[in-house]
Amino acid sequence: MTALPTIATMVGANRVIRGIAITNPFGDPERSPTGELALRRAIVERALTMLETEVEPGTVWDGAE
Amino acid sequence: MKVVHYLNQFFAGLGGEEAAGTPPQRIEGAVGPGRGLGIDVGATLACGDDYFGEHEDRALTELGRFLDEERPDVLVCGPSFGSGRYGYACGMLAREAARRGIPSVCGMDPESPGVAAAEGAAYIVPTSSNVAGMREALPKLAGLAARLAVGEELGPPEAEGYLPRGLRRNEHAAASGAGRAIDLLLAKLAGDSNTEVAASFDRVPPPPPVADLRDAKLALVTEAGCVPQGNPDGLPTIRARSWLRYSLADEATLAQGRYESVHGGFDVAAANADPNRLVPLDVVRLLQEEGRIGALHDWFYTTTGNGTPVATSVKFGQEIADELKEAGVEAVVLSGT
Repeated sequence: MTALPTIATMVGANRVIRGIAITNPFGDPERSPTGELALRRAIVERALTMLETEVEPGTVWDGAE
Repeated sequence: MKVVHYLNQFFAGLGGEEAAGTPPQRIEGAVGPGRGLGIDVGATLACGDDYFGEHEDRALTELGRFLDEERPDVLVCGPSFGSGRYGYACGMLAREAARRGIPSVCGMDPESPGVAAAEGAAYIVPTSSNVAGMREALPKLAGLAARLAVGEELGPPEAEGYLPRGLRRNEHAAASGAGRAIDLLLAKLAGDSNTEVAASFDRVPPPPPVADLRDAKLALVTEAGCVPQGNPDGLPTIRARSWLRYSLADEATLAQGRYESVHGGFDVAAANADPNRLVPLDVVRLLQEEGRIGALHDWFYTTTGNGTPVATSVKFGQEIADELKEAGVEAVVLSGT
């Protein structure tokens, strides 16, 4: 889970979720607290789905639709 | 001879981490370290490390446009030393320059992700991991740049002082391959290990998916340097030699003021305002309550992924994985910055 997925896949990570930003992969200080919690929840749910999904090596998904 | 120099926001004098989102810009002549190169720099291109990392295509397009306008004979990048984001940007820009037939010289720590990113497109002078190596690095970069700018072909890496680019030139060897292999083996037995072809990153095929996380144990691991407030065990901000483990048993969230990040590679203000932005415990607990995951491992694992040599990272990964396996963990959410 990183805002720099190219580096992750380059070193061999196989299931990668693109984070929001380097300084806050699982958050967004621009949003309201409830908005940010909803965003974080969406990203984590994507991560859990990815863990339950068959993937090709070096697969990158966006954090939220 | 026309030279263009690429710098990040910090070395270009535009600001520190708070300016890391600066889009690409052109500055006339030499700036900062460029003045110490000792060769005439026509223009300096600068870009914020975060802007490049998060808008790579746009950054490369904008920087590419500057290169088209400037039409340099050579591009000098950095030196970026141990910086991950800056080094990566230098490597990717060198590739972009190569597409235009412009040779590049970079300077970075051999462990920088910029080396792999360049994919052989740049002549990379190995440097120290920190800025202390600036005085030593600049004349080396300038020397190679001046020769490339006039179309000179450089010799092999060992002779010229740049990192192997992963390119192969065919030449006739005096001895047969079998003979050379035996010589290497005998040398190794005598204590002198050499290789003609170096190892690359280890590739592991993706593990099969977890059948159903509702029955599985999940663990949280991070390289974002997330630790209890006050950093009780003294996790370093850079070049960590160890990882740490902290109990989450009584925690529903990583609260501001109870946890912080000591990572020296990015601006930790947003993370310290809400540490769940680095390690999403609050959401994982909610999902756990709802039954989306079977269980959360009681411990979270943390280190600072800043200037960490590849070999050390591999060791950390193996050690942490062994513990997780022992504890029956089936899946991990690993947060990186």
